[in-house]
Amino acid sequence: MALVMPSWAGIGVVVGVVLVVCLVDILLAGSPRRLQFSREGDNAVRLGEQAVVNMLVTNPGRRVRGLLRDAWPPSAGVLDPPHQLDLPSGERRRVTTHLVPTRRGDRQASRVTVRAIGPLGFAGRQGSHQVPWTVRALPPFKSRKHLPSRLARLRELDGRTALLVRGQGTEFDSLRDYVPGDDVRSIDWRATARRGNVVLRTWRPERDRQVAIVIDSGRLSAGRVGDAPRLDHAMDAALLLAALATRAGDRVSLLACDSAVRADVRRPAPQDVLPSFVNALANVEAELVQTDFRIVVSQVLERLGQRSLVVLLTGLDPAAIEESLLPVIGPLLRRHVVLLASVADPRLTELESTRGDLVEVYGAASAARTRLDRERLTATLTRAGVTVLDEPPDKIAPALADTYLSLKKAGRL
Amino acid sequence: MSTSEARGVVESWRALRTPLLVTGLIVLAAIVVLIATSSQTSGTFSPDSTKVDGARALSALLKNHNVDVHGTESLDDATQPGDGKTLLVGPSGYLDSADWQRIAQAEWSHVVLIRPSGEALRALAPGVQLSGDSVSSGSRQPGCSLPAAVKAGTATVSGPTYSAPEAATSCYGDGIHNTVVRLQLGDRIIDVVGTARSFTNDQLAEDGNAALALNLIGTHKDLTWYLPQFQSRGVNPGQDGPPLIPPYVRYIGWALAFAVLVVAIWRGRRLGPVVAERLPVIVHAAETTEGRARLYRRSRARDRAAAALRDSALGQLHKAHGIPRRADPSAVVATVAARTDRDPAMLYELLYGLPPLTDAALMSLSHELDVLTQEVRHP
Repeated sequence: MALVMPSWAGIGVVVGVVLVVCLVDILLAGSPRRLQFSREGDNAVRLGEQAVVNMLVTNPGRRVRGLLRDAWPPSAGVLDPPHQLDLPSGERRRVTTHLVPTRRGDRQASRVTVRAIGPLGFAGRQGSHQVPWTVRALPPFKSRKHLPSRLARLRELDGRTALLVRGQGTEFDSLRDYVPGDDVRSIDWRATARRGNVVLRTWRPERDRQVAIVIDSGRLSAGRVGDAPRLDHAMDAALLLAALATRAGDRVSLLACDSAVRADVRRPAPQDVLPSFVNALANVEAELVQTDFRIVVSQVLERLGQRSLVVLLTGLDPAAIEESLLPVIGPLLRRHVVLLASVADPRLTELESTRGDLVEVYGAASAARTRLDRERLTATLTRAGVTVLDEPPDKIAPALADTYLSLKKAGRL
Repeated sequence: MSTSEARGVVESWRALRTPLLVTGLIVLAAIVVLIATSSQTSGTFSPDSTKVDGARALSALLKNHNVDVHGTESLDDATQPGDGKTLLVGPSGYLDSADWQRIAQAEWSHVVLIRPSGEALRALAPGVQLSGDSVSSGSRQPGCSLPAAVKAGTATVSGPTYSAPEAATSCYGDGIHNTVVRLQLGDRIIDVVGTARSFTNDQLAEDGNAALALNLIGTHKDLTWYLPQFQSRGVNPGQDGPPLIPPYVRYIGWALAFAVLVVAIWRGRRLGPVVAERLPVIVHAAETTEGRARLYRRSRARDRAAAALRDSALGQLHKAHGIPRRADPSAVVATVAARTDRDPAMLYELLYGLPPLTDAALMSLSHELDVLTQEVRHP
């Protein structure tokens, strides 16, 4: 009767049946808590590439059926939806998670959550586990494509090809016969007299010089140019320079610094230069603080003995550079060659050249003022003895490599 | 290796605390609002309504004269024992004869009927009848010996009129069509008032309306102000006939509520918590430049804008023509004029002139400088 006409009893029966079914299902479901997990797979990946992290799930208890979610921070770029899990008692399964990180730095796995559905499919249990794992997204080193052409120029410079040019500060290498087209200033007259035919001295650039790359990770590097902060473009340029200088036989060290030192790599072995640099730079983020260039200067002076090249990757911001860098750069300039490289913003050029309406004219005026300020700062720095490089993001890395090569060619190292 | 993340009682309580608190607050607020509004009546002749047709002014006046006004829309309040008290029945709503009989049996010492219907009159004021005629709005003399009316003097009257038996006192009418009728039944007094509008917020201040209302209504310290409702008939348990909504609908409602609860629990539980992440601040490198452009524009800094544009153009001219940096203006103008076939005076005005005074002048300055530098780049 209770089921024919609606009544409190009828409602009670329906609710009771539903509750009992759910309760039985919950009791019969396998326990997610008793599952055991372990991970293996990639620890590091270049930004933009895919990392694969495997997880082994062992089930010592009753059969577990349901869903498994391997949770990571959003910028870890997990590609897989929650996994379907069907794990009989006493067995082990591999669950694979594919990650394409969208930002540089360490990404730590959050918890693994398993929802075990009961045999009736009505209800289940849910439990979470901490299965620690870290995937480090390394700087992408997009400028690698420029490396082969610069290495070819380096070989030219190095005397492995025919042409040799004499420069200051180069080392005497060997004597060879004169070939038409050689610089007559390089003829060794004493050897010519001894041998009877014209003999030329050859030179090669000095090796085992030191290059200190300093990346400013302060607020000057925080601004975005294009789709990445200045800092990331600077890292790219630093990696290309490091690869090139290492091949040229120089020793490269790295310092990333704002109000404190964020990354520090001293004299790595030649084969370790790139791996140690990308590892050290992976977690460096631009801080919104003014960089303390006194730390930079004292750190660089401390680690460089002989005359070396100091490459400073920062932003050409007149106020900041004039107030914090110029007063302290003196000791550095007396002992070393200082190169300041900055990523120029193409947006400024665009602002300055569009003058359609009043708003754009004011924008153009402001951009012109910014450019003039930068040019004035460049002139000031050049007078002080700093070589300044101001290039847009796609050119900064090859430009820095070319400047390094020309400094080497001119024997200024 | 892995560690299980079982949530203890303390953690569960911590996670549930805030939602429970919010739910509790919402329920509490709903209850408070319900209580605050339940004692309120509304509509025509309501003692709480401040609208034109409300009677808040009258109830306030009565309260000032130490009459305890109790507004209600419930029939039960009007059928309680009323010895030594006044009952005022408002003009709206609908009660059937049985309800009026119950009110009549409640033995109120004084009943004031505002614009009553025929059924009300039959039950409470035997002998008084609707006369069928209405009077248009206007001031009238009392025209009777009722002390309350005599003291009040003229009053605004309108609405239906009533004919009274001999024993009753009839006021504000012509003897047959009256607006105020007082009937003495033993120790009970029944007042029939046809003109409801005179006592509303709208007209209470006119003529002697307020005095009349106070004199008529404020006879006892305890006043029950009853506004009949249309619904009182359906709720009345004595009524026959099937209700409009079948009673088992409420079971369907409860079953649906349970189903919604089950679905909410089923869909509401996430597969693990949302993972939070610290994101870097995004600052565009050109932001300071764009900000300065906005500042220029807002403060109409045409002089600064023009100076920047001129300096920029000069820089390009210096570079293009190989003019020394420190060359004086006349030398620069002479060189550029010679190369571009321009009038030196106009060139001087363009490069070193006064700042533009209007936005249009700034626009044209920018345009001309642009043309000049373009020419230099592509001669």
